[in-house]
Amino acid sequence: MRHRFTACLGAALLVLGVSMPAHAADKLKTVASFSILGDMVKNVGGDRVDVVTLVGPNGDAHVFRPTPADAKTLAKADLLVVNGLGFEGWMERLEKSSGFDGQTAVASKGVTPLKMIDEDGYRDEAEADHDDHDHDDHAKGEDHDDRGELAAGHHHHGDIDPHAWQDLANGEIYVVNIRDGLIAADPEGKAVYEANAEKYLAALKAENKVVKATMAALPKDHRRLITSHDAFGYFAKAYGLEILAPEAASTEDEPSAQDVANIIRQIRKDKIPAVFLENITNPKLLEQISKESGAKIGGTLYSDALSGKDSTAPTYLDMFKHNVETLNAGLSS
Amino acid sequence: MKTHAPAISFHNLTLGYDRHPAVHHITGEVERGDLLAIVGSNGAGKSTLLKAIVGELKPLSGRLDLHGSDKREIAYLPQVVEIDRSFPISVFDCVSMGLWHETGAFGGFDRAAEAHVFEALEAVNLVGLAGRPVGALSGGQFQRVLFARLLLQDAKIILLDEPFRAVDTKTIADLIQLIELWHGEGRTVLAVLHDIDLVRAHFPSTLLLAREPLAWGETPTVLTPVNLDRSRQFNESFDAAAPVCAQDETAEIA
Amino acid sequence: MIDALVQPFIEFAFMRRALVGSLAISLTAPPIGVLLMLRRMSLMGDAMGHAILPGAAIGYLLAGLSLFAMSLGGFAAGLAVAMAAGLVARSTVIREDASLAGFYLLSLSLGVMLVSIRGSNVDLLHVLFGSVLALDDAALLLVAAIASVSLVTLAVIYRPLVLECFDPHFLRSVSRWSSPTHLIFLVLVVLNLVAGFQALGTLMAVGIMLLPAISARFWADDAAGMIGVSMVAAFASSLIGLLFSYYVNVPTGPAVILACGAFYLASMLVGIRGGVLWRLMPAKHLEA
Repeated sequence: MRHRFTACLGAALLVLGVSMPAHAADKLKTVASFSILGDMVKNVGGDRVDVVTLVGPNGDAHVFRPTPADAKTLAKADLLVVNGLGFEGWMERLEKSSGFDGQTAVASKGVTPLKMIDEDGYRDEAEADHDDHDHDDHAKGEDHDDRGELAAGHHHHGDIDPHAWQDLANGEIYVVNIRDGLIAADPEGKAVYEANAEKYLAALKAENKVVKATMAALPKDHRRLITSHDAFGYFAKAYGLEILAPEAASTEDEPSAQDVANIIRQIRKDKIPAVFLENITNPKLLEQISKESGAKIGGTLYSDALSGKDSTAPTYLDMFKHNVETLNAGLSS
Repeated sequence: MKTHAPAISFHNLTLGYDRHPAVHHITGEVERGDLLAIVGSNGAGKSTLLKAIVGELKPLSGRLDLHGSDKREIAYLPQVVEIDRSFPISVFDCVSMGLWHETGAFGGFDRAAEAHVFEALEAVNLVGLAGRPVGALSGGQFQRVLFARLLLQDAKIILLDEPFRAVDTKTIADLIQLIELWHGEGRTVLAVLHDIDLVRAHFPSTLLLAREPLAWGETPTVLTPVNLDRSRQFNESFDAAAPVCAQDETAEIA
Repeated sequence: MIDALVQPFIEFAFMRRALVGSLAISLTAPPIGVLLMLRRMSLMGDAMGHAILPGAAIGYLLAGLSLFAMSLGGFAAGLAVAMAAGLVARSTVIREDASLAGFYLLSLSLGVMLVSIRGSNVDLLHVLFGSVLALDDAALLLVAAIASVSLVTLAVIYRPLVLECFDPHFLRSVSRWSSPTHLIFLVLVVLNLVAGFQALGTLMAVGIMLLPAISARFWADDAAGMIGVSMVAAFASSLIGLLFSYYVNVPTGPAVILACGAFYLASMLVGIRGGVLWRLMPAKHLEA
């Protein structure tokens, strides 16, 4: 009897003793550049991190302008998580002006980047043997113009598509980089981060299988996708689709009459069933294309940002689930 | 005893800018049909007085009485600098604005109206230039355009602010004729002028102004050497440290 | 050749709509541009593009991303700025251009602050501004309606408006219509600009309003003639810009405005009234 009581007391003290450090320590202050990264960091960091996202839900990182409040937030942060690949053109200035001196994790480190869409409206693959580490080193520390594109002269193979997270396999790379970044900034939490990451990676892998299967089930000639800005290049390559977009990488671009004409012709010729709107761009152009070509509006896809909590894509996984469902519904008919 | 009301009367009128008087305590009457020259050095308040009559300036104190004349019965020729001469408008169109009191903002322009415009252009010798843009005219020619416009306005009271500035003698002679025609028609004409000889030759009444009225009446009695001397000594600058004026009265335009 | 010019419009409805929309705006914006230019208010279009922000922001705060609410708000804000500027210019020493500058800056800052309160960084103006290639029925109707209203109004107030530009003192001395005319004109300006922004985007809306008007200076010497030339130039430029965007794959708005710009440069060189080349090679003078 006495032993059992002592044992329980000992266990209770042990539990207290183990959990004390977790409560006593401050949470790791992390800043994520946009909502998708923010979600990933929350999943890997769990209770140990306090995440602030700069470009929030439904926000457009291509035209984001940081405020002094953002600079203050970043100044106090221990870890900064960015996408890289030229996505956050405004980040370098923000880092300088805030005096940030914490750790940085580039989520896309190790990702094989794709080129942006070229003139024919079709995708080109970036040369596979091009040095990957070139991109990592360059991704953050270079001259970026406001539209997030790398300055000419640093790379010779054209514009890079930054939307790498649209391939779940890349998403896994992101999670690994985020995990490593968290560990570097907070070595005490190594076990927690590794455990969380493993769980999350498993979920991503599972979803990846589902997506691959769903997309493979679409009839061969229904695998074309029309959306307003070209953010789904990685998705298209990974899951076997073809993208046509009247605007290029940034939401700031203006379409040309030839682009619009080509898309309408294409839809008519190939009887493409649906066009898809995005949550951050003006829908008018696509509505016009839809009306004139007969392709129906398939629904809204989430490209660069998650939705608000009350909507259909508040997390990265939810976003994928939603996008795949929408695409499936729109393209299979 | 006068049988009818004057055209304009000033009651202890003070006009100015930023509390500094430009015209100081003027009292008097302009009779109907008067042909009055207003003379004085620079800054003596002559333009200011005309501006007050036409309603562009409110008195600082005292009263200005127009005896029932509507502002549309007053025609005002300001110093030319205030008009945009580069504006693409033809001589004809510019002069035709003088018929506003008949056509209004939206009324039509019939043959009779057109004929009137050409009559006015003839009176100032500008028929040949009717189609030209006003920007292509010389200073004297443009002045004649404005006179033609004034003609068409058919006004009871006519105010001219330095109408002969930078104008050639032939034009001056023509325009003087026009003024005397108006006088003959019984219109009241006030003209701010610098040419003393011109005044002596053509204007029966004169007001010599040096912020305060130095003399007002028949031209020969006003334009004496003594008066002209006093006028020349007039100091045109405002005194930044001036005290409040002792004579005062509440302002009101009839 | 004719076939190449006509074929895009036969094949595509969006091209036809773009053409119709351009025609409507080419009839209504250039006359206003001529008058703006004569009043030395040429930069007003650009200023308005910024001034409408707080109105759009309030519309967004109240009704979310509703195009209707934001346009209405934008129009109200633009009108407020234009009217305030006009009033101040008429009753104080500040002139029209400075007055407008003051108010549009005020308005813009207010707008930026309002947008940041909400916390979202949706680029409001980006959503508000449309493209000539995306003219839906509502937008076409809006542009056509505003074009009709503007043309009729301009025709009615033409005389007082011209006089108001040329000799405002005279107008004030003979008529009560001076202030109302001025204010009606400002309403037309804001109306055309806001509708233009929504249908065509800022660049094209402001460009179509001003560039043809400025070019017309070199071809006519009276306001009516300038208005006529500017309308034709605007429509021709729209047509050329659309075709260029179609065949050469460049964005449409800039293509149209570059066409206007080309006409402007050409006018500067060979326009019969004051073209540079004519001045360099003067014709023999006449007898009298």
